[in-house]
Amino acid sequence: MNARRLGLARLGQYAIVLVVAVSLNFALPRLMPGSPLALIAGVEVGEMTPEERAAVTADAGLDEPLVVQYLTYWKSILTLDFGYSFRQGTPIEELVLDRLPWTLLLTLTALVVAGAIGIALGAFAAWRRGSRWDVGSLSFMIALESTPQFWLGMLFIALFSVSLGWLPSFGATTPGVELSGLAWAADVAEHAVLPVLTLSILSIPAVYLSMRYSTLSVLGEDYIRTAQAKGLRPRAVMLHHVVRTALLPVTTVLALRLGWAFGGTVVIETVFSYPGLGRLMYDAVSARDYPVMQGTFLVFTIAVLLANLLADSLYPRLDPRTRV
Amino acid sequence: MFVRRITRAAAPVLGLAAVLVLGACGSDGGTEDTGSSGDSGSSGAATAETLRIGIMSEEGNLTPHTYATGFPGLNLTMLSYDSLMQIDENGEPQPWLAETVEGSADGLTYTLGLADGVTWHDGEPLTAEDVTFSVDYYKAGPPGRFATAMGNVSQAVAQDESTVVLTLATPDPSFQIRVLADVPILPQHIWSGIADPDLAPFDETTNVGSGPYRLVESDPGVSYSFEAYPEYFRGEPKVDELVVVQFADEAGATAALRSGEIDTMMRSISPEQIDVLRGTGTLDVIEAPEYTTTLLVFNTAVPPFDQAEFRQAVALAVDRQRLVDDVFLGAAVVGNAGWVHPDSPWYVDSVETVYDPEAAAELLDEIGLTDSDSDGVRELGGAPLSFELLVASNNALRMRLAELIGEQLAEVGIDVEVSSVEMQTLDDAVWPGYDVNLGRNYDMAMWGWSAPSQADIGQMASLVASDPAIGNLNVTGYSDPETDALAVQLDTELDPAARQQVANQLQQRIAEEVPFVSLLHPNGAYGYNPDVFGDWVSITGTGPMTKLSFIPDDGQP
Repeated sequence: MNARRLGLARLGQYAIVLVVAVSLNFALPRLMPGSPLALIAGVEVGEMTPEERAAVTADAGLDEPLVVQYLTYWKSILTLDFGYSFRQGTPIEELVLDRLPWTLLLTLTALVVAGAIGIALGAFAAWRRGSRWDVGSLSFMIALESTPQFWLGMLFIALFSVSLGWLPSFGATTPGVELSGLAWAADVAEHAVLPVLTLSILSIPAVYLSMRYSTLSVLGEDYIRTAQAKGLRPRAVMLHHVVRTALLPVTTVLALRLGWAFGGTVVIETVFSYPGLGRLMYDAVSARDYPVMQGTFLVFTIAVLLANLLADSLYPRLDPRTRV
Repeated sequence: MFVRRITRAAAPVLGLAAVLVLGACGSDGGTEDTGSSGDSGSSGAATAETLRIGIMSEEGNLTPHTYATGFPGLNLTMLSYDSLMQIDENGEPQPWLAETVEGSADGLTYTLGLADGVTWHDGEPLTAEDVTFSVDYYKAGPPGRFATAMGNVSQAVAQDESTVVLTLATPDPSFQIRVLADVPILPQHIWSGIADPDLAPFDETTNVGSGPYRLVESDPGVSYSFEAYPEYFRGEPKVDELVVVQFADEAGATAALRSGEIDTMMRSISPEQIDVLRGTGTLDVIEAPEYTTTLLVFNTAVPPFDQAEFRQAVALAVDRQRLVDDVFLGAAVVGNAGWVHPDSPWYVDSVETVYDPEAAAELLDEIGLTDSDSDGVRELGGAPLSFELLVASNNALRMRLAELIGEQLAEVGIDVEVSSVEMQTLDDAVWPGYDVNLGRNYDMAMWGWSAPSQADIGQMASLVASDPAIGNLNVTGYSDPETDALAVQLDTELDPAARQQVANQLQQRIAEEVPFVSLLHPNGAYGYNPDVFGDWVSITGTGPMTKLSFIPDDGQP
């Protein structure tokens, strides 16, 4: 078996997963109870005659047999023509592209911050295994891991916005104010502080735990003992031999999180009324806005698959042992 | 043809945790209340440069064809548009764009004399041609609120520059309030070029209206900006700029109100928040009765709900006052057995609302629903009298109401199991496809209609008539010939005095027959910062969040 055939087989697997996931994205909205009729017809749906209702449903293509709707759905994906939001009458790609940068600003910043802090703290805790620092930080991280996002977010709002008045509590920019250049960037940064802080803090434990565990297992390897026996200083052993190897599994964690980053963070974006993709998805689900649901799910699906692919292909490059 | 404009009553989404957290951390202490609490009126700055308003629903482009929600979406849209008549503080339609409104004796012709000097935001004059164009454009356009409203107008003719004659297909006693005071007039020179009104994008033309404000920025899902139109025909608006910000939930908006990032919100706050906001020292709350209803509905097609005596017993067993006191902390009005809010001009005080669990128990005994095995639950045909009570899970107040009602019904031997379900699921069970023809799939549910359901008394018919063409909101499947006859009369009687008589009889009938139990009407309670703006004008039953609040005193209808 050569590498190329293996690569093809893997791509084939991804293709199958993609088709299944995209089909699920079609099925899920329609399996949920409730109909998008109220949305398409406007708020006075109860006031319409049955004929008018039928006309509206037909207009949105929802009277077609499911098979036909399914084929139309695939056609829309393959032609990159995703249709209009039932609610806003706006093209889907416009909505998604509008929201995506805001989501990425939050999630990628938080990923970098949480990655750096999590790796450093995890490695340090493992190095000082069993010490007061290790036990303390481990317990703290486990507590943090189980902290609800909305709770911490609201706590920060109550403290930094309501009581202290230091930071804005909602949105991505100050509404109704025209800013440009540096002033705009400062405004955006100011608005991003609390959501990024919340998201970062709550993302640290996963990285920390994986880094700590992986460092511990590397520390038990023979070659580390060899390095120590050579008389290398502990710091050198740690930096050159332990951390580099221990980082390998953590890159997988980070790569997968990169995929999730595109899905946004429904809870954080809701608590801070941040105009990201997660909130778009959430609002669409609440209102059964099928086209928007399908559109956001698709972005999410593709991002997660790409992240997996990235992790899959990155790993052999980083770790020669896993090459075939 | 009937014109309806009712929606499900807005569900206040409560973040209990938010209330606790914000309540605990917020009060800086020290600052004393300025003595305005408990006052249902409002006070504060009479003009403002900028007023920032929080909303919680996702809206689309704010035009008469693309707005998304009845409240606040349509209220925001109407900042930029006007109708021929305008609801005044008492909820009565008054002349507006039409300075004179003359109806013929047979109710089939309305002659409207337009006000002078009304201009569109781009400076063009508003003429009779715009009015006739609007009628035809709505009628030819996609189905919707205004298309339905115009359905009964068979002809619109411009007699001269400023006179329009509307001819109706059938007389409609509610024509003024339902149509003239509701439908926004469109500028012909803009909309005549738009073939697909549902997809009208926001731009420098579609934001042209005649209202006190022009929408100058639109970022659906995030924010909107309105700029005052200084040439407004009723006088220059009191606030120069309105910035509308969309929040994801009430907790976020309340926090922003407290931190001073917004100045008010277009959402009635939860009862617990009223004192919290007043206690901040910087904020106040305008509290006013609203027509929004909270109902206990049941499927009257299935036994034992098909018996009026059983429904009466349920109504007798519910202690409405306790629901108001315990769940709404007093910030609600007890629902009347005859459905109409006590502040409505149509309310008839001879209809009594009684709480008497003993009488309820007697009634149940009389119709043979007894507790033969003494387990505390009565039996119907050998099976325990047990029902599922559906309630929307996003509405904490209604969930608490449901729990209390369950306890109260248990006291008379009716077992109630409260099931909280997602709102769409609830809609699907109670009002499948939003079409009462499609039946219903529930025993009991917590339900409600928005304020317009009471603002126009004609809507009462739609709740109880068995003919779906009239009773399009009859989600309980109630059917009774005598009620039907009254409903038809209510929809056709042109003489105001005679119509009041019919309305009285129908209220009496509803109180006797109990097609549903009207539990209470939550008061509207809107937090605001009086230092920024506080000169609110509240419309009886529908509250202060309309354009009337921004129109100068001498320009009020």
